[in-house]
Amino acid sequence: MKSDNMQLTHLNTRGEANMVDVGNKQETRREAVASGRIMMQPETLKLLSDGKLPKGDVIATARIAGIQAAKRTHELIPLCHALALSKVSVEFDIDHEAGCVKVTALCRLNGRTGVEMEALTAVSVACLTLYDMCKAVDKGMRIEAVQLESKQGGMRGDYQREPSRAAPIVTGEGATGEVTLGERCASPCVRVKFLAELRERVGASDTVLDLKQVPSRDIAGLKMALSQQDRRFSVLSDQRTLCAINQVMANDAARITDEDEVAFFPPVTGG
Amino acid sequence: MNIQVRIQSAPFSLLDGYEQTLAQRTDIGAVVSFTGLVRDFNETPDVTGLTLEHYPGMTERTLERIGEEAWQRWSLQAVYIVHRVGYLTPGDPIVRVLVASAHRREAFEACDFIMDFLKTQAPFWKKEHSSNGEYWVKERTTDMQDAARWA
Repeated sequence: MKSDNMQLTHLNTRGEANMVDVGNKQETRREAVASGRIMMQPETLKLLSDGKLPKGDVIATARIAGIQAAKRTHELIPLCHALALSKVSVEFDIDHEAGCVKVTALCRLNGRTGVEMEALTAVSVACLTLYDMCKAVDKGMRIEAVQLESKQGGMRGDYQREPSRAAPIVTGEGATGEVTLGERCASPCVRVKFLAELRERVGASDTVLDLKQVPSRDIAGLKMALSQQDRRFSVLSDQRTLCAINQVMANDAARITDEDEVAFFPPVTGG
Repeated sequence: MNIQVRIQSAPFSLLDGYEQTLAQRTDIGAVVSFTGLVRDFNETPDVTGLTLEHYPGMTERTLERIGEEAWQRWSLQAVYIVHRVGYLTPGDPIVRVLVASAHRREAFEACDFIMDFLKTQAPFWKKEHSSNGEYWVKERTTDMQDAARWA
């Protein structure tokens, strides 16, 4: 089966381009999701989200462009069949932290051929339209990571992109069963870890804080010092945020001393 | 106290813990085990997998402490807890708690108790991957209510 899957269906036995005859294939429900992103300057992104770009409503225009492009994929990609798509949707997610607009397209039909090219074309053209609409203020924008996320239906079976493994499987470098001490600080300090969702929200997994910067030597003081450093740390004062000192649960009044390991994390969800 | 705790990324079998617990013992009258699996539906209908993260060190200590509390409350002969971390797909086993005692009631109750506290106190976090994207699983108030039953 593996070798069959590795064959390119758009080439005939002589290796020439070939439009596949799909007349004998069963009609099945097909769906594909593709994604991509366009990176841009924070100022451009702000103008975009505030609706202040000279060409008007950027997102609405890019959405229509993506939908139109999906329907016309067969005109652009030489060996694609013309398809009567039953559904096309193009969604945009403005990510101010990452400095990009993420584009996701979904295409669906009941038919004899897959719709991944349509979804990829929708994402590509939506990104190109975003570029066109914003290029007056930012020429350095970059279209990236246009890729198939998933597809369902068809004889080659379903596909689901494996999630990126950038997130660590376990938190911190500590060996199992040990408290991480790391190198000694020059002056009294605490080591602070942010776990799971909290790590993603503050954008850091750990930091070291000089105890001299802490207004009071307890968890409340530590939270205050961190919030003054960066407003993203204000999430630490959220009621849901939990805290442990040297891997034992602690509250705001708990004392912190030199070389302590303090961890902040969301409510647990194991089991 | 005979309490064993393991955190691992590798799968475990549905017999895991039996051999270790029962080897060369004839005083055990009851073994109760619970195995938790990855469902393909949760907060969204199409869960394709999940990533389990934990806090190494604190996780083991928390599970050992929960085992010790069960040991104090009931007359037990063995407690065995294994929990997986890393990327898991629907149908994969996540957690297994096995409790052995002379009589069944202790084993049933202690196993229930350990799971309730594992879910509400052990530092594990699940990130679900679905066809609509990925998100961190939210805690459930029902889990907190379950744990409060033992107060």
